[in-house]
Amino acid sequence: MKKFLSILGVLLILGCEPFVTEFEDLSDAVMYDANNQSTATYDSSNVKVVTWNIRFGIARFPFFGDSCGDVVILDDATIEENMAAIADYLNVMDADIVLLQEVDVSSKRTGYMDQVQYLLDHTNLNYGCYAPMWKADYIASDGIGRIDAGNAILSKYKLTDAERIQLRLRTDQDELTQYFYLRRNIVKAKIPALAQEAQDFYAVDIHATAFATDDTKQQHINKYVEVLGDIDANGDIFITGGDLNSVPPGSVTDFCLSDMCSDESFHTDADSGPHKEGSYFDNFVGEPDILVPLYDVYNSAIDTASYNLPEHFTHAPSTGMIDDTTATMYDRKLDYLFTNGTWDSGSGSTHQGTWELSDHLPVSSVLNLGGE
Amino acid sequence: MKKIIFYFILTSLVFGETKKWDAHSAYLLPQKRWEMGLFQPFRYGYSESIEYSVHPLWFFVMPNFSLKISQSDFAGFTSASQYKMVYPTPFLNMIAKKGIPGIIAPEFQMPPMLGLSASWLMSKNMAGVNLTLNGGLDLGFAFGDLDTRSTIDIPLVYHRLGVYYNKWGIHTGLDVQKNLTQKFTAVFDLDLIFLPMTGLAEVQIDPDASKLMGEYSLEHKLLLIWNKSENFRVLTGYKFVMGEYPYGSDMRLLPYIPMVETWVPIIELQWARQKR
Repeated sequence: MKKFLSILGVLLILGCEPFVTEFEDLSDAVMYDANNQSTATYDSSNVKVVTWNIRFGIARFPFFGDSCGDVVILDDATIEENMAAIADYLNVMDADIVLLQEVDVSSKRTGYMDQVQYLLDHTNLNYGCYAPMWKADYIASDGIGRIDAGNAILSKYKLTDAERIQLRLRTDQDELTQYFYLRRNIVKAKIPALAQEAQDFYAVDIHATAFATDDTKQQHINKYVEVLGDIDANGDIFITGGDLNSVPPGSVTDFCLSDMCSDESFHTDADSGPHKEGSYFDNFVGEPDILVPLYDVYNSAIDTASYNLPEHFTHAPSTGMIDDTTATMYDRKLDYLFTNGTWDSGSGSTHQGTWELSDHLPVSSVLNLGGE
Repeated sequence: MKKIIFYFILTSLVFGETKKWDAHSAYLLPQKRWEMGLFQPFRYGYSESIEYSVHPLWFFVMPNFSLKISQSDFAGFTSASQYKMVYPTPFLNMIAKKGIPGIIAPEFQMPPMLGLSASWLMSKNMAGVNLTLNGGLDLGFAFGDLDTRSTIDIPLVYHRLGVYYNKWGIHTGLDVQKNLTQKFTAVFDLDLIFLPMTGLAEVQIDPDASKLMGEYSLEHKLLLIWNKSENFRVLTGYKFVMGEYPYGSDMRLLPYIPMVETWVPIIELQWARQKR
């Protein structure tokens, strides 16, 4: 009987993994190593940083969730091709640290490819850490199936103390939808090789909410500012960035009509609503200026004089492809890099040539660790 | 063809042993007795040597039929053969949709598919324990383009539908049943479903021997049964599944309630009647 109960106990533990993974406020990130590591050592020169929402390697595939599309699962060969192109471009940029959003590590929609491992194995980056944002055994909607997607930090140098920091869940969803929905996060890691004497060096990656119509976005930015503030107050250095799903101060805030799919209708009410989720950036008081606290305190890779210029737009929605002669390929800035250190003057760049590889464009800059 | 089937059935007809409440054994239902459960098929003892069964609720969206035929005793075991046929296409196309319950992505149209399965069952009572061994071959025919991305990668389902993607599979299992008291019975079963060489095409690119071997599912069930009468019984217990899936190995204790994140015991009610 004792034996039987022991076996049953083991079955209960092993066979009762949560169907949908929920997270503590703070948990460990998943660590990765490249299978073939390059011998990168920091030589006191500058550090190149990139942020890129890679759209789980599906490039411009008309995915049902965000691009007026109606398909869900891309074929393995095309994913491999897209990921190879992303890896090639990361190699061209020769980044020391890459902050990635929307990376799949075991999802039906992308053939269960571990994209963090793939990028480590096909670039000159050696170490990674990953924090899931959407992890479930099965999403029984639109054929999504098994999903494990999130944020990742890749680096030439070893990462330690990697943490997944939970961001508040949306409150504008019913309980069932929320259970199966995304759990957005910040992933933060220390890079000891880049420490400057007593100052530790941190990389912080975020993907804030896109579709919330309540104040979730404000909560996400507040938490982000708090995490960065703690590092700064401790006298340490950080580079940070990600897809903030927010436009810069002074930007256009209403993209409902330009993002509208052929079967949708917006701005029909007297108060100019309804608005399209994810395309309207004035849902609550202060949303248009939500990023001001970051610009006020930290240094941005793309400075305030340039952040609303078309050459720094980072989001290329699918509707930009409907008519090349009248639509704009990229029409807003959603992706950012900041530091409490100093960027090399003029090194900030938005890589709009990668338009075909994702619906977001990478932003890069070079950190001058000496502050010269 | 009809003649061959008729001849085959005739030559294999042997009056076998009959037994109540023993769906997974080589024993057939007594003639004119039917049994069914909440989650079990409707079974009917057509004669002393033929029993048939269908899943009545599933039948309209997934036509299915099963025939058990008694065979000559083999090595001291009561023996029977079992043949199953299922046409899953209508149901699969119902769940290949946008929104909930979109189990399969809406871009996939499932072609007509036919599943055939043949099993050999051998049962024996050994020292008060009923032992049944079974094994057989599964064939899956798809009459059209079946996209490999349309698999449903969850326990219990993946390997059963995997036969259509892999064209064939094998299954084997063991059932042990013991009466604890006059009213209570315990059942232990272990089943293996195997899809050989599922990764044959991939091996040319990625020489991983495990992919060449194929994908398996090992299912184990332990049930405690309260036999209220000859016509009604209640079953409770658990099912444990472990196997190899496209995403790797996985195991799960069932039934599992997602939002509560807990296992709950199986509760199965079964009814029977003897037709006069």
